[in-house]
Amino acid sequence: MIAEGTELARMGAAVGAGLAAIGAGLGIGRIGGSAAEGIARQPEAAGEIRGAAIVFAALIEGAAFFAILIGVLILFV
Amino acid sequence: MNLFRPLLALFVIVGTCLLSARWSEHHEAHSPFLALYAHLMPAALVSGPHEAPEYLLSVPAGWAPAAFDANPGEPGTQFVLTNLQLFQLCAVLLIGICFSGVPRYLRTGKGDPLTRVFAGFVHWVRDEMVYSTMGREMGRRFLPYFLTLFFFILFMNLLGLLPGAATATASIFVTAGMALTTLGLMLVGGMIAQGPIRFWKSLVPHVPGWLWLPMFGLEIVGLVVKPFALTVRLFANMTGGHMVVLSFMGLLFLMAQGAGALATWATSPLIVGFAVFIMIIEAFVALLQAYVFTILSIIFVQASIHPEH
Repeated sequence: MIAEGTELARMGAAVGAGLAAIGAGLGIGRIGGSAAEGIARQPEAAGEIRGAAIVFAALIEGAAFFAILIGVLILFV
Repeated sequence: MNLFRPLLALFVIVGTCLLSARWSEHHEAHSPFLALYAHLMPAALVSGPHEAPEYLLSVPAGWAPAAFDANPGEPGTQFVLTNLQLFQLCAVLLIGICFSGVPRYLRTGKGDPLTRVFAGFVHWVRDEMVYSTMGREMGRRFLPYFLTLFFFILFMNLLGLLPGAATATASIFVTAGMALTTLGLMLVGGMIAQGPIRFWKSLVPHVPGWLWLPMFGLEIVGLVVKPFALTVRLFANMTGGHMVVLSFMGLLFLMAQGAGALATWATSPLIVGFAVFIMIIEAFVALLQAYVFTILSIIFVQASIHPEH
């Protein structure tokens, strides 16, 4: 499945997967922090803030999955 | 207490798992990892002896490209029945079983435990997801689609966690199909709500004349990227979770091959513990991704029937 001479491409895919994880982690961390802060300030709005935070986290996750998908494509195609 | 519906649901679930395990094609691979990862791919349903399997259903599809040919024995492109279809059908059946009593329960207040649980679920989807985003007036019209979408995805995700089962949503074709229906609803709903010409015109915000054409192209790309992101998100979430669990299982086989039985027994509690931990996360993700797919569909449809400007 994996041809000879593609070691560099495989390394690139691995590094890319790591970078995508870093980016998504930073983004989701910021969302989580801000959501916790918002809930602490306005506990009565906890439900709405939580719903919005999940949606934003899902959007960032989507961007990270694009990167992962490209990594997988490099590995196997 | 009327236990007919819960028992019927259990019967359908167990029956589908057994049928899938009985009919699924077996994979051969050298590495334990590859043998395990093969379970992420849809397996064709076959019957007959192990050496000469026969496809349960093989449909000629001459219009499809040869890359999709699943049955090389027959001439032309052939589609075969896979275990994913089995679990899609199971999800449909389960929706029928779990929700057949809900209308009567909402009218009369009488129903078995399963019906009561899912009636609460329906209320949650309606009030917290559809009505809170689209409003009562518009929400009423689109509610059936989003309810169907949510529970179809939810059942397929949760069925994928059972032993012997396959996750239909871990196939990019299944998720793409659902994202395409959302895209169709965005386009058709938007064109009906705003009128066909106003819909395409209102895609572009107020910009200077020379920017209009590039902006229009950009907005078209944005329109296509939204369902594509939905597709990839659900597919990658379900596949990724299974891949982590299978990687842990693969470690176990790798230990057994390379390090001997004693080391395998010694490390198995740790490895299996991690795998169970990931499975628990996956059970949460199954619900979360059904929620995310549905709420993003609601937001996209809402945005296309009510432009911001």
